[in-house]
Amino acid sequence: MKCDKFIEALSQKVKVLEVTRQYEDQVTALVELNDLPEAVRFLYYDVGGYLSTMVANDEREINKHYALYYALSIEGGKMFEGDEIEQDEKCFVTVKVLISPDSLTFPSVTPVVPACVWYEREAYDMFGLVAEGLPDKRRLALSDDWPEDLFPLRKDAMDYRHRPDMVDHDKEPEYNFLKPEGSGMVELPLGPLHITSDEPGHFRLFCDGDTIIDADYRLFYQHRGMEKLAENRMNYDQMGYLAERVCGICGYAHAIACIESAEKSVNLEIPARAQAIRIVCLEIERLHSHLLNIGLACEVTGNYNAFMHLFRIREYSMKLAELVTGGRKTYGNVVMGGLRRDMTGKEIKKSLEILQIIEVQVNEVWDAIMDDKRQVKRWTGVGILDKQVARDFSAVGPNVRGSGIKRDTRYDHPYDFFKHIEFEVAVAHGCDVLSREMVRYMELKSSISIIRQCFELMPQTAIIIEPELNVKPENFALAYDEAPRGENVHWVMQGNAQKIYRWRCRAATYNNWPSLRFQFRGNNIADAALIVCSLDPCFSCTERVTVVDVNSKKSKILTNKDLKSFSRTQKDSPLKDIRC
Amino acid sequence: MLKLLDISKKYGDATHKYPFEPYVVADNFRGKPAYKFDLCIGCAACGIACPSNAITVQFNEDQSKLVWEFDCGRCIFCGRCDEVCPTAAITLSNEFELAVKFDKNALIQRGELETQYCSKCNKPFSAKRLVHYGYECLSKANLGEKRLKEAENYLTVCPTCKKTATATSFTRGEEMVIE
Repeated sequence: MKCDKFIEALSQKVKVLEVTRQYEDQVTALVELNDLPEAVRFLYYDVGGYLSTMVANDEREINKHYALYYALSIEGGKMFEGDEIEQDEKCFVTVKVLISPDSLTFPSVTPVVPACVWYEREAYDMFGLVAEGLPDKRRLALSDDWPEDLFPLRKDAMDYRHRPDMVDHDKEPEYNFLKPEGSGMVELPLGPLHITSDEPGHFRLFCDGDTIIDADYRLFYQHRGMEKLAENRMNYDQMGYLAERVCGICGYAHAIACIESAEKSVNLEIPARAQAIRIVCLEIERLHSHLLNIGLACEVTGNYNAFMHLFRIREYSMKLAELVTGGRKTYGNVVMGGLRRDMTGKEIKKSLEILQIIEVQVNEVWDAIMDDKRQVKRWTGVGILDKQVARDFSAVGPNVRGSGIKRDTRYDHPYDFFKHIEFEVAVAHGCDVLSREMVRYMELKSSISIIRQCFELMPQTAIIIEPELNVKPENFALAYDEAPRGENVHWVMQGNAQKIYRWRCRAATYNNWPSLRFQFRGNNIADAALIVCSLDPCFSCTERVTVVDVNSKKSKILTNKDLKSFSRTQKDSPLKDIRC
Repeated sequence: MLKLLDISKKYGDATHKYPFEPYVVADNFRGKPAYKFDLCIGCAACGIACPSNAITVQFNEDQSKLVWEFDCGRCIFCGRCDEVCPTAAITLSNEFELAVKFDKNALIQRGELETQYCSKCNKPFSAKRLVHYGYECLSKANLGEKRLKEAENYLTVCPTCKKTATATSFTRGEEMVIE
């Protein structure tokens, strides 16, 4: 069967204690704690895997231990032509270790596989599990004034409604940003909050003149504790709606991944028509998300005209979603066992008309943008994501495809109806913002073709089956789909009483953030907003910037307006009067 | 650059004159749930289905009324209430203009239904309309007149009293005859 080959290879390297199969393409291997880094490194670099997610779990009720699951998508390194695993052998291999509650430590994998860094930092935040040897042990998800000894996802830690007292502003602990050494460097904080921003994040840019030398960032200002909420309060019917609200743009991809992981852990196969309609909705979401991002990439560089045109076209994709699902943004039609809402022939016909409009107009506007040499120049060579960095940090989505790596969940692990659909994976090799936007444009076209194929092949079956909820506590599975920003991975462990034991939701951008630092390096600060935008974290906002020159000790506060106008015009650097 | 201007000219205005003109939404738009009090029987199916607890069905303080309450501020427009309602008293409408001025209470919609008291213990247990609905369903079910009469009495007994009655007759060894 699938995966056996890789488990065989793994057992040559390290001692595999136990092998369990969750789904036809998912296998978990339990290894000894000390073998963990070697096991993950072997699967990652020698076999050719990418880190999909890492789940920490409090299993003291089950086996008196904490557990870590490193889920790797085994698909080949993809660094050069032919460096890829056979299509029918691609699978997910999870490396599991148990950690005793007395020691609470585990050997860090980050020194050998850099992609693990955020996951291991979060394991400390949520469970108090310390990664020995992790170079960066700062907090990740919880706020700096969160109580030191409260680990929220431990089963006995707290009620999900508990909110620890806030610390006074003057007593709030300082967050240590990683700083490069050297003199004459200007520190530039960007963020964290702006009234119009949907995702606050605080960036610290370290500059020499206008050039960014290094960057560090603090995110998770709006950590909502959804995983805790779902564990405690939600049943399977409600979870899908909660998952849909993880993201304001690619929420449907989260809902699908969440529900499918619950379906997979009970081995439930949904009807073909439901699969097809799920794909249609996912691709509609990709349409509006990519149009939004290309639009914003124009807006950040001051090309308002193109921005307005792309948003005008985007309105058609929102109309399409409204027609198909009844809601412009939250589609709310996915439940365990299938879908709640069917499509009529009339709706399909109308959808095809709208798709035609979108296709024609996107091509027109894109050609016009590509004709504009100044626009293309602003995108070219900016925010380089080196291919090796992308490989090391398991980047996903247009970000990794823009760096010449052919990674697409729809192609690597065809889910739902994708087995019947033909499409080309969009890859560009420039590694810069232009390549990422190119990938998005190519995906717009392939999305339109995928939706058309779905309509053509639409199977005539029911859209929902009565789910035989054969829930076995401790069963787990992961589910994945390709959201507009990359692969979303959800991991669900079943609990009793129609509830889940643990839900791990990993959004696409989570894998893209750690490598952003490398994309900043060597660029002009005027391009900082553009680089963040090209990552597509639904984020293009910089509120207020305090600039401190380390040498002259002069400081200056820049407003959103100042920085934005510099970003657009690249003239009159707001920093010039404080340089020494 | 000029090409973009040509495109602008080609497609003209993209905006609507809203709010001076009505904005037309798709036929099956999932808007604000519309509540028809006259059809509501107080079965509380919507309250159980609602994933975000926007709908609650509870007795008021002195238990004289069964209060159906909908808080639009909590609603996520999923339409589960619409699916489960047996009498189509709640259906998703096309309405999307939900803003209220200053007063959040304006988001709350309420329906008060007459309480049904138990004919045995005189405690409130349901809405009169639900009992009536049950009777109507039974009367269409082709039952004998005597059986229907029995059912009518039976319907007004609260679940607790029903349980007690069954347990009592069972322990006494009395046989219950259903014709």
